[in-house]
Order: sequence, then C-alpha cells, then structure tokens
Amino acid sequence: SGELYCSLPNPRNVHFESTNMRNVLHWSVPEGTGDGVLYKVKYAVYGVGKWIRKPECRNINRTWCDLSSETSDYEEQYYASVKAFLNGTCSAWVETTRFNPLTDTKIDPPMVSVSSTDKSISIILTAPEKWKRSPEEGSISLLQVYPGLQYNVSVLNKKTKKRWFFSISNNTLVVPWLEPGTAYCVSAQIHVTTPLLDSGFSKEHCIATLKDK
Amino acid sequence: SVAEIRAGFTAIKANIQSRDPIRSLSILSHPHSLHKVKSSDRCCITHHLFSFYVDKVFKHCRTEDSFVNRKISSIANSFLSLRRRLGQCHEQNNCVCGEESTEKFKQILANYEGLNVTSAAMKSLGELDILLDWMEKSH
Repeated sequence: SGELYCSLPNPRNVHFESTNMRNVLHWSVPEGTGDGVLYKVKYAVYGVGKWIRKPECRNINRTWCDLSSETSDYEEQYYASVKAFLNGTCSAWVETTRFNPLTDTKIDPPMVSVSSTDKSISIILTAPEKWKRSPEEGSISLLQVYPGLQYNVSVLNKKTKKRWFFSISNNTLVVPWLEPGTAYCVSAQIHVTTPLLDSGFSKEHCIATLKDK
Repeated sequence: SVAEIRAGFTAIKANIQSRDPIRSLSILSHPHSLHKVKSSDRCCITHHLFSFYVDKVFKHCRTEDSFVNRKISSIANSFLSLRRRLGQCHEQNNCVCGEESTEKFKQILANYEGLNVTSAAMKSLGELDILLDWMEKSH
C-alpha cells in the first residue's frame, strides 16, 4: 500500500520487555499526539532480515504487542519495529535494538515449598517455566534453558534474627540442627552465572519446627 | 574466562550492535546455526572461531570511544588466553576437524569476506553473544 508522506512524530522508547521469555514489545505514544493514534508492528530474525508483519498488532491503539510466539526460538536474535498512524498521516518505522531472548529476559523467583521436623527444615525449589503458547504445550523449565542455573537460599531464625545463606545447584536443601518449636522463614533467588541473570528473591515462606517430643 | 568475556561484551553490546545496520546477514548464525554443530566438532569449531576473532576481528574494531576500546582489548586478551589453552587440545590431537565443521567455518569466513573489513569486524564483534550462548550451552 503506498504510504503517505510521514510527518507524524515517531513512537518512542520502542523496546522488548521479557520475563521467563514472554517477550512483549512496548513503546510510548509519539510526542504531542493525543488519543486516536493507531499502530502496526513488524519483526525480523537477525541474519535473515525479512520483515514480517504481525497481523494481530495491525491498527491497534494499545502501546504493546506480544511477540512471544514469534521470538520463542532463543537460539535466534530479533528486531521489531513500530509505525504510528493518525488522521491520514504516519510516522517512520522505529526499531528496537537487537533482542536476544536468552540474555535479555528477566527471570521470576523460584517457587518455594517447605516442611519441617523438630530439628530441621526441608526446602524444595522449582524454577519457573519458559513461556509457552498454550497450557497444552509441553513445559520447558528454565533449568533446561540455563544449565548453569543455581539457587541462593536465605533462612532466617525469627526468634534470634540469625540468617543463613546457601548457594545450591540442585533443587532441594535440608537445613539441620535447628531449634525445636521455632519459626524459620525461607526465601530463594535464581542465579545464572553466565549469562549473568538473577531473579529477585521469592516472598518469605515461614514454618515452625516441631516442638521437642 | 568466558564469564569475563560475557561481562565485557554486555557492557558494550548496545554500542557495538548499533554500529551494525545490516539485519539481513549474520556472520555466525546464518545460514548455518552454531547450535547445529555436532558435539564431535565443537572443539575444532571453537578453536577456529577463537583464531578467527584474534587474527581477523579485534584488530579492525577501533572506535572513537575509549571506554569501548578498553573493553574490546580486554575481551581480546581473554580470547588470547583461551585460545592458548585450546591450542594445547589441538596439539594433543583432541580437537579433530571433521568435514562438517570445516564446511561450517568456510561459510563463516565467506560471510565475513562478503562485507568490507570494518563492517565485517564490527558485525562479528556484535555477534559475540551468539558465540558465548552456544559455548555455554554446548560445553
């Protein structure tokens, strides 16, 4: 379609926001334009370079577009681009920087489950799953994506406020020699050494050791 | 170490990749992806690629930015020491080059020689994360 002379200001801050490889393109409204701006989106695989339109993000008025499906192969890298339209005029295409799903994603904290005996607590950690198209699709743990994935675990004695830190590669940890009848709070973080990626710490999971028999 | 190379590259990635306007060509990942390299060929391809970066790429990657230049030279030094270590494997014949890896590396050189040297070097430098991702995943 022959496009009009494009005098509209450009969309701003066009970038990918990614968590667990759910890759969503975001941008800001062009400066000085009120309501009514529409957008279209395209993307390209780096090294192939052919721009591909995203039909579900054609003539949209929101300022984001989910490209997770199109960028799910994390052995590839990608560019995306946005163009704005208003009252018969348009902006230029504005591109992202090169997006590498493997290194440019954020990782959620692990799931934490705890159980206790009188003198120990057992902690089981579960890494988040990679984004998937539908619930029926097979799950891929981020552990498979990042073979060097480790867990940093914090254990707090609520009574004495003493805190221990552990760094483990497997997903289970037993903390022995604890005080009976005492509350302990556990929080955990994912740490990938290379590429360097850290999740935040999970919220605290507190549990009391059983009282002495 | 690889982690040092990764950290150095991450610090200059946006700067270096912004100097490479060519989206439709990749030195390392198209048409052949490193991720399709057989495990038996990995050592040889890695050794070839380290030599490629040391002998062909880094020397053509000067910029006007002293911070970027310092990072590039520290990455280059890390490559030199890693290549030395890999060289020992090569000498002990533990790093045999099969036909497929030789073919793949020829393609990489052809991609490189398809551009003028400065563009090819800057593009190769901008693709360091492709090499590092493959190395970390497969080694």
